[in-house]
Amino acid sequence: MAGKSGRTINNIPENPVRKMIFSWEGILFLLLIAINIFCSMYSEFYNISSLLRQMPVYLAEVFLMLGMAFILVMGEIDISVGSIVCLSATLACLSSNAGLPFPAVFLVSLLVGTACGIVNALILTNFQELPPMIVTLSTQIIFRGLAEIILGSGGSVSVSNTAGFRAIAGKVGQVPYILFLVLILAVIYAVVLGKSTFGRSVYAIGTNRTTAYYSGIPVQKIRFVIYTLMGTLCGVCAMFLISNSYGANTTTGENFEMDAIAMAVFGGIMSTGGRGNIAGGVISAIIIVCLRVGLGQRNVNAQVILLIIGLLLICTVGLPNLVKNMRQTRKVKKN
Amino acid sequence: MSEYVLELKGITKIFPGVKALNNVQFQLLPGEVHALMGENGAGKSTFIKVITGVHKAEEGEIFLDGEKVDFKGPKDAQEAGIAAVYQHPTSYPDLTVAENIFMGHEIVKNHMIQWGAMNAEANKLLQKLDADFDAKAEMGTLSVAQQQMVEIAKAISTNARIIILDEPTASLTRAESEKLYKLVDQLKEDGVSIIFISHRFEDMYRLASRVTVFRDSQYIGTYPVDGITNADLIKAMVGREITTMYPKPKVEIGDEVLRIEHFSMPGYFKDVSFNVRAGEILGMTGLVGAGRTEVVEAVCGITQVEEGKVYLNREEIHIRKPIDAMKKGIILLPEDRQKEGLIMSWGLGRNVTLPIMGKYAKRGLNDNKKEREVSRDLLESVDTKAVDIFQPASSLSGGNQQKVVVAKALGQEMKVVIMDEPTKGVDVGAKAEIYAIMGDLAKQGYAIILISSEMPEILGMADRIFVMCNGRKTGELMREEATQEIILDLSMEKASGKEAR
Amino acid sequence: MKKDSMLKKITGSREALLALILILLFIVVTGFNSSFLTPSSLQQLIKNNAVTMVMALGMLCVMLVGGIDISIMSTLALSGMAIGMLLKYGHISGTILPFVITMAIGTVCGLVVGLVVSRVDVPPIIATMGFMYIYRAMGYLISNGGEWASASALGSFSDFATSSFLGINCVIWIVIVCYAFFFWFMKWTRTGRKIYAVGSNPEAADVSGINVRNIKLLAFTIMGLLAGLGGALQVGIYASAMPNMQKGGEMDVIAACVIGGVSMSGGRGSVIGTLLGSLILATIVKALPLIGIDSLAQNTFKGVLILVVVVVNVILQRISDRNALKGREM
Repeated sequence: MAGKSGRTINNIPENPVRKMIFSWEGILFLLLIAINIFCSMYSEFYNISSLLRQMPVYLAEVFLMLGMAFILVMGEIDISVGSIVCLSATLACLSSNAGLPFPAVFLVSLLVGTACGIVNALILTNFQELPPMIVTLSTQIIFRGLAEIILGSGGSVSVSNTAGFRAIAGKVGQVPYILFLVLILAVIYAVVLGKSTFGRSVYAIGTNRTTAYYSGIPVQKIRFVIYTLMGTLCGVCAMFLISNSYGANTTTGENFEMDAIAMAVFGGIMSTGGRGNIAGGVISAIIIVCLRVGLGQRNVNAQVILLIIGLLLICTVGLPNLVKNMRQTRKVKKN
Repeated sequence: MSEYVLELKGITKIFPGVKALNNVQFQLLPGEVHALMGENGAGKSTFIKVITGVHKAEEGEIFLDGEKVDFKGPKDAQEAGIAAVYQHPTSYPDLTVAENIFMGHEIVKNHMIQWGAMNAEANKLLQKLDADFDAKAEMGTLSVAQQQMVEIAKAISTNARIIILDEPTASLTRAESEKLYKLVDQLKEDGVSIIFISHRFEDMYRLASRVTVFRDSQYIGTYPVDGITNADLIKAMVGREITTMYPKPKVEIGDEVLRIEHFSMPGYFKDVSFNVRAGEILGMTGLVGAGRTEVVEAVCGITQVEEGKVYLNREEIHIRKPIDAMKKGIILLPEDRQKEGLIMSWGLGRNVTLPIMGKYAKRGLNDNKKEREVSRDLLESVDTKAVDIFQPASSLSGGNQQKVVVAKALGQEMKVVIMDEPTKGVDVGAKAEIYAIMGDLAKQGYAIILISSEMPEILGMADRIFVMCNGRKTGELMREEATQEIILDLSMEKASGKEAR
Repeated sequence: MKKDSMLKKITGSREALLALILILLFIVVTGFNSSFLTPSSLQQLIKNNAVTMVMALGMLCVMLVGGIDISIMSTLALSGMAIGMLLKYGHISGTILPFVITMAIGTVCGLVVGLVVSRVDVPPIIATMGFMYIYRAMGYLISNGGEWASASALGSFSDFATSSFLGINCVIWIVIVCYAFFFWFMKWTRTGRKIYAVGSNPEAADVSGINVRNIKLLAFTIMGLLAGLGGALQVGIYASAMPNMQKGGEMDVIAACVIGGVSMSGGRGSVIGTLLGSLILATIVKALPLIGIDSLAQNTFKGVLILVVVVVNVILQRISDRNALKGREM
């Protein structure tokens, strides 16, 4: 059904393979290989089996990256996730110690996380004028504060019945369950964000919220769902943390929001919204996990690793802008 | 020494994809009020920004008192004595009036801001302008008219020799406009040269001695105001006989489709009722700020009314969210294409399918192949000038962007189509195409509401004309009985209304 | 008529409202514990919160230009740790020199953050999140991986925190000088007003010839300078330096500003408001145990307080907008 003038419009996309190689994800993938080569040269213990053995500690945070990806694509931020993890872990430990069966404990963790997410979501959708930054900042203090109250003066709790937690920390051959779960969830999240109409709506909200609203997209409903699900993922993260440390304390999950944001942003998911995808986030998360395992094997101070993450974060966002700015100045000078 | 205070020659300004100004010229005599007229999108605003140094022209020269100048930024123009008062005041809402007036040239002694002197000076200026507020008032709490007054005070305080007023009367009541006229007279006596942009002929006759007309980014001519008629000016502005522009088809008007009763929203509109029938084009007009956009946005669920009922096909319906209206077939083409209508960085195809992607999705997953087909068909049906469906919306001209907005609506099941200023910033050629689409839609039996500030457009396309003023319905005219004068009269504040109090 | 407007002025002014709340708080707390309102107790209150109070001024500048800085406590730790180690190993001594060093380090840290935010256009939250890691790690590294500098290692440096001048503790003098300077700077200098202008309407500021980027850079640099000063104060008041000092303390600083009426979107906020906000926060934290709330609940209470303040703000704004619309003639 061509128009009156008979003009036709092309609707055949470019070759996707070429696009893939020159994308940020492609660069990240090469970087992942480079990091692995570096680590195996740097640490004599670094190989597949030691990587698989040591990675579960760091993998728990990747759950948070998945949820954070949605929030960042929407152009928002949630810095309360570390505290939600802390509160979920605390209550899961306590309910386990109170004699609840393991599935119930898992459910408690998920429910607590979800409830915290709903609190964020309710405030943010009912008071849309408030920046997510300040709301999640205050809930960050509140959720951790609640954990502090619950934990009392000791400030920590450890689980007495570790059977269930040990079970989820199990392995198929050498591959830990958590890696399967992370990858399965990553695929689901990638499909939802990248292929579904829901995901398309999230990008629309992150790029131009007003147009999205005028086009009939239920902006507030979507925000509600995303913040709530973020909470649920915190519950999952909490369970796997306990499966590693068999306890929780007031510093559980500290700085996790920063790690999750760093992974996502490094993966090309811009905090300004509307850009990036889960694939990039997952590759960058794996890069960071490998780096931590490799450097950790040579007893490099954890602070140095944080320093590297901080630099990565700033460089990923900063360098492209810097190049763009320099190009523009050159153009202006030419004129 | 040149006889002109300000002269511009051969100015060309190019934005990505559009030539906003094409070899235009302009001369301003000392102490004159010079009106600048032209349709929306003729390039007046861009031209002003070139004079004030906000935009830099690709080609052309600017002369001040016969000397060539090169403005690197707004500061250079300010120092040269050029000040602009924009249609939407560009002020600091959190600061006081005095600070707004003196921003950038504060009264300073020993590196200390002299608040007392500044407030006194500001109050003196405000008194001169006959303002009814204090220099210590916070800018954000003032009305638009008051804020405009502050902007004028700011211009005077910099001892500007050339003041540009960009549609200053657009959001003013008649009494406020009268006050502004007196102010302009006073400035003229003080030897200030004024460039006055307005859509109101009334403003021009009352104030200006000469008028320059732009059309389609080009300079058309400069005429003395004495002896010029409306018809001459319209011809210069539009460039052709009006009738050829509007292909209004003869359509059999059917049953009532949409009826609005007693719509009220405090501060925006009050007790507005109207209806529209199948195949009918209802024109909604009035001055900017009359509440037209607010009424239709409430109909479409963008905002919520305090009171009022909506009937679709004589049945009452309840609309709370935009999606409710869209499901019922009430489709809005929003006024601001770039902020409300399109996602500028997205490809055309995705833009078109944004409201309808759920319809062809399979189990929540987007069907890319179907999407590409649907979007191409829709874009071709409105004859969009585009290479492929993946190019970003920002790469199109205003007229073609509007066609994409139309395509986006066509994909949905429509009963009522509401077009809010569909030809704003659209070049003449594309305008005619959009009118043709509008006519087609009417022929197909859709009820159409056309909101427009452009009188010829309303007179040319509408079957029935609904006039609003200051949030109220002031009149309803049939096509045959409507004239520019009657509509203008209905759009203006009545002496019995606000002024009397 | 005159009286009416006076009343309106008081209820309409944020600062007056905050002062009223603070006075009420004082009365309530004194009711529970009569020793609260004594000069020495009040001095103690300010001294214990001096770091937060001083740094809130920097946060005021940053938030006025529409930014936020969560790297400040890492800057504090880095600069504080630097003098801690220098004093410990006898490279420097005395009081003035360490202050100069911390402030210099802080200024450089702030300058770098400001450059990244203003020149490279990295969103403030992302940039300062990165620098929070980086500066904290640098603090650890210069502490040889976690060494402390205890009171004995600091020598005479921390004496200033216990000595008085005209009967008032020196730390409090520093706070007073800072607030007096900033009151003058923000209200009476052109640069101070430019900070407000940039936050209130960046586009308009650009059009009126203000260098928006430089003003943003300045705000973050001021923040860094004050974080450095905070480092010296922290080390002096607590007579020790450790690399994890004040971890999480940036929330207190932001909370003080938000309670004091500084807007997250820029352009709104005052030095007096910041002072009252940080005093209210300090008083509440001190009062909680007095009225029988466990000190463990402090953080929860703080969080709820911030949330309530911002939500009430939104509600009040909505009401006033609605009234403004209702008042419009039609």
